[in-house]
Amino acid sequence: MVQDALRTSGSGGGLPKTAVSNGGGRGRGLLLRGWQVQNTSMNIKIMILCGFVTILVLLGTVSFGNLGSSNADDAVNQNLIKETKPILAKSPSASVPNDLDLEEPPKAEVNPNVTYTLGPRITNWDSQRKVWLNQNPGFPSIVNGKARILLLTGSPPGPCDKPIGDYYLLKSVKNKIDYCRIHGIEIVYNMAHLDEELSGYWTKLPMIRRLMLSHPEVEWIWWMDSDALFTDILFEIPLSRYEKHNLVIHGYPDLLFNQKSWVALNTGVFLLRNCQWSLDLLDAWAPMGPKGPIRDEAGKVLTAYLKGRPAFEADDQSALIYLLISQKEKWMDKVYVENQYYLHGFWEGLVDKYEEMMEKYHPGLGDERWPFVTHFVGCKPCGSYADYAEERCFKGMERAFNFADNQVLELYGFSHRGLLSPKVKRIRNETVSPLEYVDKFDIRRTHAEAKP
Amino acid sequence: MIERCLGPHRCRRIQRALRHLKVTVLCLVLTVVVLRGTIGAGKFGTPEQDLDEIRQHFQPSRKRAEPHRVLEEIQTGGDSDSSSAASGAGGSNNYETFEINKIFVDEGEEEKPDPNKPYTLGPKISDWDEQRSDWLAKNPTFPNFIGPNKPRVLLVTGSAPKPCENPVGDHYLLKSIKNKIDYCRLHGIEIFYNMALLDAEMAGFWAKLPLIRKLLLSHPEVEFLWWMDSDAMFTDMAFELPWERYKEYNLVMHGWNEMVYDEKNWIGLNTGSFLLRNNQWALDLLDTWAPMGPKGKIREEAGKVLTRELKGRPVFEADDQSAMVYLLATQRDTWGNKVYLENGYYLHGYWGILVDRYEEMIENYHPGLGDHRWPLVTHFVGCKPCGKFGDYPVERCLKQMDRAFNFGDNQILQIYGFTHKSLASRKVKRVRNETSNPLEMKDELGLLHPAFKAVKLQTNQV
Repeated sequence: MVQDALRTSGSGGGLPKTAVSNGGGRGRGLLLRGWQVQNTSMNIKIMILCGFVTILVLLGTVSFGNLGSSNADDAVNQNLIKETKPILAKSPSASVPNDLDLEEPPKAEVNPNVTYTLGPRITNWDSQRKVWLNQNPGFPSIVNGKARILLLTGSPPGPCDKPIGDYYLLKSVKNKIDYCRIHGIEIVYNMAHLDEELSGYWTKLPMIRRLMLSHPEVEWIWWMDSDALFTDILFEIPLSRYEKHNLVIHGYPDLLFNQKSWVALNTGVFLLRNCQWSLDLLDAWAPMGPKGPIRDEAGKVLTAYLKGRPAFEADDQSALIYLLISQKEKWMDKVYVENQYYLHGFWEGLVDKYEEMMEKYHPGLGDERWPFVTHFVGCKPCGSYADYAEERCFKGMERAFNFADNQVLELYGFSHRGLLSPKVKRIRNETVSPLEYVDKFDIRRTHAEAKP
Repeated sequence: MIERCLGPHRCRRIQRALRHLKVTVLCLVLTVVVLRGTIGAGKFGTPEQDLDEIRQHFQPSRKRAEPHRVLEEIQTGGDSDSSSAASGAGGSNNYETFEINKIFVDEGEEEKPDPNKPYTLGPKISDWDEQRSDWLAKNPTFPNFIGPNKPRVLLVTGSAPKPCENPVGDHYLLKSIKNKIDYCRLHGIEIFYNMALLDAEMAGFWAKLPLIRKLLLSHPEVEFLWWMDSDAMFTDMAFELPWERYKEYNLVMHGWNEMVYDEKNWIGLNTGSFLLRNNQWALDLLDTWAPMGPKGKIREEAGKVLTRELKGRPVFEADDQSAMVYLLATQRDTWGNKVYLENGYYLHGYWGILVDRYEEMIENYHPGLGDHRWPLVTHFVGCKPCGKFGDYPVERCLKQMDRAFNFGDNQILQIYGFTHKSLASRKVKRVRNETSNPLEMKDELGLLHPAFKAVKLQTNQV
């Protein structure tokens, strides 16, 4: 444009200066306008660019789309839900939290018209077992004069919600390893969900059945929750008392039959004999278990029937209580409701008394003076939320563990530096004749007789 | 006006400069805003926090108050006995905010060792063989051999008393002990899981020495003590150790004679998984092994000696493995004839060369071999899942530990008719249907009622 203007003025030839200046002035005007237009267009471009970038940034940080509820709000809602659920749903011993179905889409739920079964019905298990035992003398059901027991416990396959949970599962399994080594009991630690339907607290049923059928040499299957700790290392289960029974479970007959309380029995720790009766019991027990509408509906029935039960899905403990009450004649003659020692000992009333126990009593009693098992019902160390204050729970678990560990370490001449201390101190000097202490302190050689 | 003051050229230059300045400032501001949005600017907060503050300012927290009231009503009116505990303790029920180390309380004083006395594991015992055989003779119900060729074995492992620094560390310790429980149940071996530091001077990798000595002396019925690190896992559940082979030996470790005695290579053997017979020789060995252990100056100086004397050893404080190599290489005449350096199977199997081949092994081989085709033990040396810093990338370590665990677990699950869906999956699937004649079913590996577990006549053998 400028060039044209100059050329026209130039080609004008001998135009007077005024013409040139005129063309130049007009050129300059045009020039200026050109500059201005370019300026403006560049400003506009910058403005648009900035506007664009701002929107991008805002989108990224503030989530323009849903100003209604931010992430923080969601988190608060989640926390609220988490808070309310456990308080409303006081489950007794959910040692195995919900299954983790993260890798696959959920399977189709069981048809409620078809009764769920643990497996094909077996009717002659007692004779099958007897025949097998005769044919396999290398695997007797009685070893060293004692019936063979298999302790079954377990935890979910994935890490706990909080790392502290795994730490206590580790200590809990060490506690069980110690007790079982001393008493010649084998342990099966289950970390697999054998049956997707029976998840959560119901996982134990298919596992118990599976172990019974695979190990005919095992006389008793002893289920123990992962949140239950042995606190009397010397005490031994008085099996002779249960010769005519097939299920040994801690509870109170009054609460069971008169009050129909949902905490009349505790299925966190129990013994089940390996026999046909037990298979039948498991088959009768399982139907309330399958997750989904069956378990929810069953939960409603149980809440209506049992005293004090909050509203939540069916759990194995309530289901067993319901079963034993409603079919009393069929089952109760083979069930031993034990309360003379703490086959299951509710932790709250016990954990503060350990020092007093150490002062006044001694191991081997198994009852309120020196509890056999301290069971941390409701503490749920593997979950992220407990029914009780977590400090109280963990302090209690630490104390119970150390209380038991002191009994194990006594053979070696050590003891914890306080019931809350993971450190140990020497309580007996090293010696050149260690065997005299072995004779004195080895628990396996000083079995106490259980109270009749 | 500015034009008239300064002249057109300068004016234009100034304008240009101003424009450039504007653009620079604009870009700077944008950068700061974007950075603040993505990584936050410390105490100046992030845009999300801004929005929160704005929202909170305008909406009083009605939302939060109501459900809490509901909860309080339930708690005070409820018949549960937890309410008193919860409100009395005053603590929150949320594990999110809980600090475990707050609850530990150590009473009493730490034992202070006498700096003038040289370190010993304990008073010297010289007649342990006699003491032990006397005891065994008096206690026939605790024989040291539970079968004709099967000695009583105690597997010893352990971990630190406090929770792991790495949040998933305790979960892997749990899986590791489950793995050992399974192997030992099948093979009739007892387990001792140690979580106590018996001697503060011998902390770290040396902690096993006082523990081993204590266990040998407290369990005379144990014939072999099998030490196994917590980061080692059984991957061949069917392999039974060839006890006959070790009749004349007192110490069995994985390693190579040439690498230890000729080369003095610091990884010529591995003390992460070894067998030690319960006798006088073992006590003497422990006494000779221990002096490099006491933490502090002794261990530092010993470390320098070891780095100098052994091939390939990096510079760090003395560790029990290097000390063992040094001990054997320099005192072969005293100890060598009773030490068996096993390399016919993986009593210790370095994970780096094994974990990628599991699928290949499943396809081509079978359990019971124990060697490179199907390793007995996969040992995750250097992974340190419990600590914060390992020698290898954390993700590879953890992923491979899961695979190794599942590889071993599959052999246990197949006994009951199940298997993991894949080596990376925690879920299991059925591979054998339930039947009404379960006793006719035989598991392929014969691990349900293996011969080495059958109860036999108990005899005493010295």
